[in-house]
Amino acid sequence: MRVVVAEDLFLLRDGLVRLLEAHGFEITEAVSTGPALLRALLTYRPDVAIVDVRLPPSFTDEGLQAALAARRQVPGLPVLVLSQYVEQLYARELLADQAGGVGYLLKDRVFNDDQFVEALRAVAGGGTVMDPDVVSKLLVRRARDEPVTRLSPREREVLALMAEGRSNSAIAQRLFVTEKAVSKHSTSIFAKLDLAPSDDDNRRVLAVLAYLNT
Amino acid sequence: MGLVVAIFSIVCAVIAWVRSRDRAGGSRSWRCRVKAMGWGVLLLPIAWIALWLFGVNPATVGLLLLSGAALILLPGVAADLAAVLLILLGLYGLAAAFAVYKYARQGVAWAGADYIAKPAAAHAKQVAISWKTSIATAVPHPPKVVIPSPPPKVVSLHQDIVSFRPGPWYAALASTGPQGYVPVLLAAFLFLAFGLWLVPRTLGMHYLLVSRLTNRVQRLSETRTDAVDTAAAELRRVERDLHDGAQARLVALGMSLRAAERLFAASPGAALALVGEAREMSSRALTELRDLVRGIHPPVLADRGLGDAVRALALDAPVATKLDMDLPGRLAEPVESAAYFAVAEVLANAAKHAQARMVEIHMRHTGDVLRIAVTDDGIGGADPAMGSGLRGVERRLGTFDGILAVNSPPGGPTIVVIEVPCALLSLKTSSS
Repeated sequence: MRVVVAEDLFLLRDGLVRLLEAHGFEITEAVSTGPALLRALLTYRPDVAIVDVRLPPSFTDEGLQAALAARRQVPGLPVLVLSQYVEQLYARELLADQAGGVGYLLKDRVFNDDQFVEALRAVAGGGTVMDPDVVSKLLVRRARDEPVTRLSPREREVLALMAEGRSNSAIAQRLFVTEKAVSKHSTSIFAKLDLAPSDDDNRRVLAVLAYLNT
Repeated sequence: MGLVVAIFSIVCAVIAWVRSRDRAGGSRSWRCRVKAMGWGVLLLPIAWIALWLFGVNPATVGLLLLSGAALILLPGVAADLAAVLLILLGLYGLAAAFAVYKYARQGVAWAGADYIAKPAAAHAKQVAISWKTSIATAVPHPPKVVIPSPPPKVVSLHQDIVSFRPGPWYAALASTGPQGYVPVLLAAFLFLAFGLWLVPRTLGMHYLLVSRLTNRVQRLSETRTDAVDTAAAELRRVERDLHDGAQARLVALGMSLRAAERLFAASPGAALALVGEAREMSSRALTELRDLVRGIHPPVLADRGLGDAVRALALDAPVATKLDMDLPGRLAEPVESAAYFAVAEVLANAAKHAQARMVEIHMRHTGDVLRIAVTDDGIGGADPAMGSGLRGVERRLGTFDGILAVNSPPGGPTIVVIEVPCALLSLKTSSS
């Protein structure tokens, strides 16, 4: 799987490249600036890109802007955005095109390389991965709203994990329940929130996120 | 001479007009401009009249110069001096009128017409009469005022009073005959009245200016103290947070790693558990650092500016928040930061204390003022004097001459208005 990495700090860039190579990814290019990232994305069309939000030369959200620009030209170009901070505003912008193939994680999620690589593969496969931080804030916001209050505590847990972009099997593993139980919960959640049920994992994530985001 | 006076007046008026633009606050309307020029506008025509009435003498020339200066430099010392000169001219006029009256009573024929007809050479001789003697003769007492006779010897009255060339007013006196003192008296009263009217105004203006400056200095030293205190407190907080938080965690992390090192050979399983623990610890240290940085300068504010940062705040707020924004560019960073934390505090209050269900944020930048109004539907009763949060916000905004106004009757709603004078730096470039 071909990956473009954009990170301006050498230590982190080097660490990421080594981690990815250890997991059998092929690093097409490792860049350190916004313009270089945009060029690399449009030239190589990698299977997935790992992008730091803050990049030179302006040291603002240049990485995010480059990723969004590339996705405007190549819809659905898989991008996993890594950052020291997660902002709901940026999550919204990434999700706005509803095209999938988007991830947004805190940098320290890399510590758990298995989960990180899983997330990266999910994004490459057109899935959506959101940091638990983003999801928990979304849930806090909607917690007092009518349909969400009707969810059971367990259902809320499942909802959060679904919003993070996890598959049924991953959720089952995490909550120590069977996959069947998870799918039962998920059907109930969709009914309570009045969402159209879907078997497609990615569409399900997008639906949940869209619901929480309104 | 007339040409010089005219050119001087026109130059003064033009300079005053150009300068009035700053004082008019950049307004283009001519009414505002004239208003900004103040009563200095009146002074110049008065000086003209004085010149015409009393001729070219130190007082009238001084008045002309000073009124020009007053027009340009208002409110300055020139205005005070001009007022004093007006009073002097008035007094001079009174003395003149009195002298004329006495001449008239004694039935002395008027030399005015003669004077007008006199050649310049004769006039030059008269100029030589000393100032001192002329003043002495101007004073009606002692009664030994020498009244020259016969008439051809009469040095013009005006010459007696001020040993300079008189103006055409003599013509007026000559034509009105013995009653000539009446117009002089009127003119004298006019000047006296205007001078007296002017004095408290120029002095008042000075007083106003001084008290305004005193207030300003006081306010600036207050806000400077606040700014220094706030910055120091902020640094102390950061130091304490780092010391008790991330630093402590890093120490613990190092110890865990060292313990894992030791255990590695003997019991790899336990060592592995310790390493896992160390990783968790580094994660928590990162979270703490992240929160700390957010409290110092939120990254989204640095990335996108106030508009998007407030948008992000609204998204993170636990209360439903409606936004109405018109902020077409970036502001100075310190202002953005102060405004951001002000909105953050107000939003937090709305959620925590007011138990609001709905918050509206209106943010506009118009006429070099940033205006933010935050309205919530909570229980009200907020008082900046009670909580330290809003006080802190007020102090922080005060550094930029910004204000915070809270209207929060018991039972709600609460409206908090923040206004900060500031310039828009640039138009937005990044898309959002």
